[in-house]
Amino acid sequence: MNGVISNGFESWLAAPPGQLAGAGLDWLDDQRRVARERVREQGVPTSKTEDWRYTSLKGLLEQNFAQVDEAITALQPDDLEDILIPGLDSHRVVLVNGRYAPELSVLGDLPKGVRLGGLRTLLDADPDALRDRLNRIAGDRQPLFLALNTAGLDDGFVALFDRAAILERPIELIHLSVGMDEPRVAQPRHLVVLGDGAQATLIERYVSLGESLYCTNSVLEIALGRDAVLQHDRIQMESANAFHLTGLYLSQDTNSRYRGVNIGLGARWARTELVTRFRGEQAECDLQGLYLAGDRQLMDYHLDVAHSVPRCTSRENFKGILYGKGRAVFDGLVAVARDAQKSDAAMSNRNLMLSESAEVDTKPQLEINADDVKCSHGTTVGRIEPEMLFYLRSRGISAPLARRMLCLGFAGEIIQTLSAEALREHVSERVGQRLESAPLN
Amino acid sequence: MLAVKGLKANVGGKEILRGLDFSVGPGEVHAIMGPNGSGKSTFAHVLSGREGYEVTAGSATFEGQDLLALEPEERAQLGLFLAFQYPVELPGVNNTYFLKAALNSILKARGQPELDAVSFLRLIKEKLKILHLDDSLLKRAVNAGFSGGEKKRNEIFQMALLEPKLAILDETDSGLDIDALRVVADGVNALRSPERSMIVVTHYQRLLDYIQPDHVHVLSKGRIIRSGGKELALELEEKGYGWIDAEGQAA
Repeated sequence: MNGVISNGFESWLAAPPGQLAGAGLDWLDDQRRVARERVREQGVPTSKTEDWRYTSLKGLLEQNFAQVDEAITALQPDDLEDILIPGLDSHRVVLVNGRYAPELSVLGDLPKGVRLGGLRTLLDADPDALRDRLNRIAGDRQPLFLALNTAGLDDGFVALFDRAAILERPIELIHLSVGMDEPRVAQPRHLVVLGDGAQATLIERYVSLGESLYCTNSVLEIALGRDAVLQHDRIQMESANAFHLTGLYLSQDTNSRYRGVNIGLGARWARTELVTRFRGEQAECDLQGLYLAGDRQLMDYHLDVAHSVPRCTSRENFKGILYGKGRAVFDGLVAVARDAQKSDAAMSNRNLMLSESAEVDTKPQLEINADDVKCSHGTTVGRIEPEMLFYLRSRGISAPLARRMLCLGFAGEIIQTLSAEALREHVSERVGQRLESAPLN
Repeated sequence: MLAVKGLKANVGGKEILRGLDFSVGPGEVHAIMGPNGSGKSTFAHVLSGREGYEVTAGSATFEGQDLLALEPEERAQLGLFLAFQYPVELPGVNNTYFLKAALNSILKARGQPELDAVSFLRLIKEKLKILHLDDSLLKRAVNAGFSGGEKKRNEIFQMALLEPKLAILDETDSGLDIDALRVVADGVNALRSPERSMIVVTHYQRLLDYIQPDHVHVLSKGRIIRSGGKELALELEEKGYGWIDAEGQAA
């Protein structure tokens, strides 16, 4: 039944399907089998593959990542001390190397109509709650890393909100990576479903203990019902030696509102794919992004925003700071279908280059097939203005501090869209620290 | 306090300052006047250390140190302050954060203890009161979207906070209507003290109605060609710069 996978990713799917969560559920076994086929038939993307033109998989393929095969249970709540954000009051769900860790999670009091927790737990307890939801938005023609995640689907985070359920405090999903003897790949699968009129804030964090080498390939599906509202902060602070892949697949019904703030600071090689689909009119999707690409670091963003129905609004606003031999890719597509009149989209990608040897490939694209729309895109690649630098220095501020202040000023527009003050402070501080250690030219 | 001797400077290969001699003692207010292109702003920029100006001859000593050998931040730490003709907008850089970074950088360089958030806010509220400024200024990004008058007032506010020994006001009157000019001038006057010197660079005499100088100098073609008391400014206002230029050429 299992086709042989011969494209370098065999080790990612080493576990026998019979040991995966929910094994024996026909619908789930089918999904995993189909995904395995997809992995097998696709082969490895090359520089000729359009979506991978600017990003090489060579570094990733040189690693022989083994699948995480056991839950890490040795961690104590105290071990999270350095990871928690002071002053952030949340419903906390912790995953360690892709596995739900109930002993580290603090779900808190949840109102009626809200379910939070681990995917495997819910698959065991109530598989029917997931049957028509899991793998629905991601679809059938899955690209390689989504298919790999689906084929190995085993554990992750789930949030299910019934109609009109509202959670006041944010949900904080902490994905913690802990180095193992040999490099491991974790493939967590997350699902967030907000029923009609439901409201939530989700803070999704990728962090590590130590600076070890590992790979995360996470997939998150989000379905927003009519009038649902989700604020979604994503903070990627993986280990400096890690590989990070993440795919977000978002579906929005009529009049729903989504704001996603994507902060990319960590990992040596990070790829983020954001795919959004409007299912009903007058929905709003706001994608904000901030990335720091330091020396020999790659930050790669792919946006695919489809306005397939009329009167929806989308914003794509990404800013990057690059230094040393840092590299970034911004490949953004906004497609407006023929019937999607009154679509309103604005895409922007601005980059601040702190060194001569940093490099960014930016490709914002609009594909417009309707005639009554408001769409724009813009991109800039610039340096720190000498005027601004001199102004700060003339006030007694050293050149390195002045540069950092200007970078933080540039980043501030995105940071301020995060949901909580404690989080904004945390991110500003980390951006400042990263810039402090940045060799300037 | 400041002694400039035989200063020559080029901008883009063109000589703008051509042997400038000038000195300022403690507590003195000097006005430098001159027509457009006479080198007034260049002189202010060379003193503050802006890039793009090449000093080819002469010297400038400030508080016993070779000013021209110092970085712009070192000059500020030593007590020099330039109020910009065109204050720079810094989008995203919060004004309070900026002011605190500036003050603490200067204190640190002088080996004095830095201010914590509470004492800093107390100080800043006090300075706002002296200058009759609204504290909404503090929450905004530095100069971003400020009106011309707000920008100039923010300059004077920084000066009040950083308490320089020598302040250079570069065409502080430009772009201001008479009411805004009065507010700015009142601020400057409130900061006059026996220990603080000022150089007021201006094209027009009207600023000097409000900020009365001890000495007036006329700059033409990169040199000071006349010096005198404040009556010199009135004479200039009456006769225009053509008179000085003609005399300069004759001399």
